[in-house]
Amino acid sequence: MLKTVFIIEDDIFLQGLEATKLKKEGFDIQTASNSKEVISVIGRKIKIDLILLDLMLPEVDGFEILKMIRKEKTLEKTPVIIFSNLSEEKDIEKAKKLGISEFMVKSNFNLDELAKKVKELIGQ
Amino acid sequence: MDQEEKIKSLQEENKKLVEFGLKKAEMVSISAHQIRTSLSAIKWIIKMFMDGDFGKLNTEQESLMKKAYEDNDRAIEIVSELLLANKSEDIIEKKYDFKEVDIIELIDDSIFDFRGEANARGIEIIFLRPEKDFNTVLADREKLRIVLQNLLENAIKYGNTHGKIFITLKEAGGFTEISIKDTGVGISEEGKNKIFEKFYRDKEAQKKEAVGTGVGLFTTKKIVETHNGKIWFESNTNEGTTFFFTIPNFKPGK
Repeated sequence: MLKTVFIIEDDIFLQGLEATKLKKEGFDIQTASNSKEVISVIGRKIKIDLILLDLMLPEVDGFEILKMIRKEKTLEKTPVIIFSNLSEEKDIEKAKKLGISEFMVKSNFNLDELAKKVKELIGQ
Repeated sequence: MDQEEKIKSLQEENKKLVEFGLKKAEMVSISAHQIRTSLSAIKWIIKMFMDGDFGKLNTEQESLMKKAYEDNDRAIEIVSELLLANKSEDIIEKKYDFKEVDIIELIDDSIFDFRGEANARGIEIIFLRPEKDFNTVLADREKLRIVLQNLLENAIKYGNTHGKIFITLKEAGGFTEISIKDTGVGISEEGKNKIFEKFYRDKEAQKKEAVGTGVGLFTTKKIVETHNGKIWFESNTNEGTTFFFTIPNFKPGK
């Protein structure tokens, strides 16, 4: 059974590129671009193996979404990669306190490197 | 205008300048985020072309795509350097909040932050941890973290690919002495007297890495000295550099 990556990214173009790459690498993909869509995906009770989360999201930011995700019993310990173009220490600290596996600054990585990190964390 | 009015006027001007500084920093941060988002998209698309996702490229196309990818990466670096310079200006002026800080935990956190960059260059970061319980220090955690990040970032940037970085700690008469040693390009003889000057970039550093603002060590020195610590280095061209700095130990009850 394929592992599922949940991509939470409001830039639809970037979301599409990330999804296409990870699908090619053999993952099932769920996507959301705002908090309403996140709630909808969580509500479907799909097994999620890893969450790829942007921080700058409309209305409800990535930190609040991460807090919301961590309240779900099935997602309490799910690995989360923050994939954002924010890189201030205060943002990294805040994310670490909410329990993340990795903080990756998007512009510093290409999609091959992202896929490699995802595989390192959850296998294939 | 009498003395009191002058003081009040200066205080109000200062308050406006601080507010302006914070707004400017926020604007730079938001702009940087937006620029990085566009640069990320460009990076990923070019890589897809280079990987043949849209069909095989001819030799000329491959060469042009490679150049475009490298130039885009350079633009990304420049944005990061501008952000750092922007933050450095801000950070020196901000109030210090001195508290007890677990220096070992802070070093571990800093290594975590740079793991990706170090791995990308095949550089191993070796933290020679003290064998038994170690002091905590009296520091502003955020600013001390910047010191560690600046020195680690330089060690990676100017270190040789597949080199090593060694971090050590020792007790030094009421202070903790931290050293960060790289096996990189070293500092030129000319640069040794200027390395802590604002905007100075050593010629050895420029040969290795074209992009840099030269504010990192200036800011690092200011922060260490505000902690009543000292910073110095030992360096030989093509053998590497070791930076040392001291931070006062935390004394309970003080």
